[in-house]
Amino acid sequence: MAQRKISRVQAAPPPILLTGLGVQYDLRLSKKRKLRDTVLRDGRHSQSGKFWALRDVDFRVEAGESVAVIGPNGAGKSTMLQVLAGILEPSVGKVEVRGKIATLLQLGAGFDPELNARENTLLVGEFLGIPHKEMVRRVPAILEFAGLGEFAEAEVRTYSTGMRARLGFSVATSVEPDVLLLDEVLSTGDAAFIEKSRGRIMELMKRARAIVFVTHDLDSAATFCTRAIELEGGRIVADGPAKRVIAAYKKKMAKRSATASRSGQGARRGN
Amino acid sequence: MTTHSTELTVGRPRRGSIGTIFESLTSLVERRRLVWYLTISEIRNKGTNSLLGNVWWFLDPALQLFVYFLLVSVIFQQAQPAILLFLGAAILPWKWFTAALASATTSVRGREQVMRQIAFPHLVLPASSVLASVANFIFALVPLGALYLLYPDRLTPWALAVLPVAVVQFLWTIPAVIALSAVAVFFRDISNFIPHGLRIWFYLSPALFPIETLRAIGDRHPWFGFFVDINPFTWIFSGYRDALYYGRAPEWGPLGILALASIPATLLSIYLFRRVSPLFVKVL
Ligand SMILES: Nc1ncnc2c1ncn2[C@@H]1O[C@H](COP(=O)(O)OP(=O)(O)OP(=O)(O)O)[C@@H](O)[C@H]1O
Ligand SMILES: [Mg+2]
Repeated sequence: MAQRKISRVQAAPPPILLTGLGVQYDLRLSKKRKLRDTVLRDGRHSQSGKFWALRDVDFRVEAGESVAVIGPNGAGKSTMLQVLAGILEPSVGKVEVRGKIATLLQLGAGFDPELNARENTLLVGEFLGIPHKEMVRRVPAILEFAGLGEFAEAEVRTYSTGMRARLGFSVATSVEPDVLLLDEVLSTGDAAFIEKSRGRIMELMKRARAIVFVTHDLDSAATFCTRAIELEGGRIVADGPAKRVIAAYKKKMAKRSATASRSGQGARRGN
Repeated sequence: MTTHSTELTVGRPRRGSIGTIFESLTSLVERRRLVWYLTISEIRNKGTNSLLGNVWWFLDPALQLFVYFLLVSVIFQQAQPAILLFLGAAILPWKWFTAALASATTSVRGREQVMRQIAFPHLVLPASSVLASVANFIFALVPLGALYLLYPDRLTPWALAVLPVAVVQFLWTIPAVIALSAVAVFFRDISNFIPHGLRIWFYLSPALFPIETLRAIGDRHPWFGFFVDINPFTWIFSGYRDALYYGRAPEWGPLGILALASIPATLLSIYLFRRVSPLFVKVL
């Protein structure tokens, strides 16, 4: 029985596979939204506005792996997660993600401030594409976990940021994902809720086939993850066992801040 | 333990034009409940932000009708029997169209947050704007119906023909809203431009005056006559007016052609929307 299962898993394609992936932003489109600029400046600045947030990324996650993605601000970590979640389409290369996905990016996306917790749960469930019946079944558990008390009946616009995040977290983690994508989610909420949500994430991590965890919290990355990749300037610069990659990254950062403080304003060049 | 699914969920290969359209339409059917939730929320939000709340749904068209009544009958002294009904038959449906286009400019742009964080078929956004705009028409039927208290002899069974005419207008609202919602992501200025463009369009359509006025100009300038013929609102306004004001059958021929022509326009708008939608998250 167990043997058959193993051979099936090995034959299956990997849960996450990125090949030659590149994501390009066109700053002309996102910054100069005025018609006049687009029309007048088109020819001259045709190349200058393009910018690769990710470039030549080859990345494969096998079943059972949990991968930490680390790197400085603007390295492309969130962009990579958005590609894996299907939110961004790659400009070049291929992305393949298999199985149900749960994404925990910022919490509370898709809430309608005029609706109450229950209605918002159903609304976000629809955005996520969860079948209605299943969502209805889950609502009590979601509200219970969010622990909003009597505020569950109030409109979401009356919630504090933390309450909104709690509800967002409960909705987002209510799925049983094959692929779990996390982007620095443990920063909001009070201490009790952080503890509770940590437990929930550990539970999901145990059950998911593959986990990609973007974080600046290097210590928890080293304990939670089996593998780590370091991104810098949109490219993967290190890939290997979590402890080794993270230790090397820490050393590099320490060295960099040392040289930066020595050469005064040199910190600006660190991107 | 649970068995894991290995179905490809992100990264399906891109399809050809027919496949793209088909995929978009399927996604709307699959997410019909989401479309409906968004529709309800859009309608509800309009009513909540003001003191009189939902009363505005009736008051707004009624006031607009009154303004045009002053303009036409008092200032221009146009002698038209049952002038309020004559104007209302065109102005109230037009209000629906302008409201639809106004909501189109924000329907994708205003959902930036959720688009950045959840992968879902973006077409549900303009689709729900189209549906929500119908509320404008439904509520406008109330002041329109009330006008028959002033002119009871104008009410004939042909008044029911507003429904097929409204369907034709609805069919053209779909591609207009889908296309505009996508364009507005890239060109924010367009929301400033739209009201002026609409106003010109309104004055070039037989809304404040009978169709004969336009035809007379068309006889002198053939290009203008051509424009009058291809303007959908020439036929739509005439249709409403036939049904509600003259109490006769609308011209089914041109309306039928308009209805059929809306199909390729809708498919084209869906195709273009889908092709540019990967850019939305990057641009917003
Ligand atoms: N919508 C956008 N338009 C243009 N450039 C963008 C857009 N979103 C992100 N970028 C750029 O892409 C690069 C990568 O951004 P990303 O958010 O992936 O970084 P990150 O690694 O998550 O950083 P952080 O640690 O600060 O979260 C950055 O240089 C950023 O300026
Ligand atoms: Mg980030």
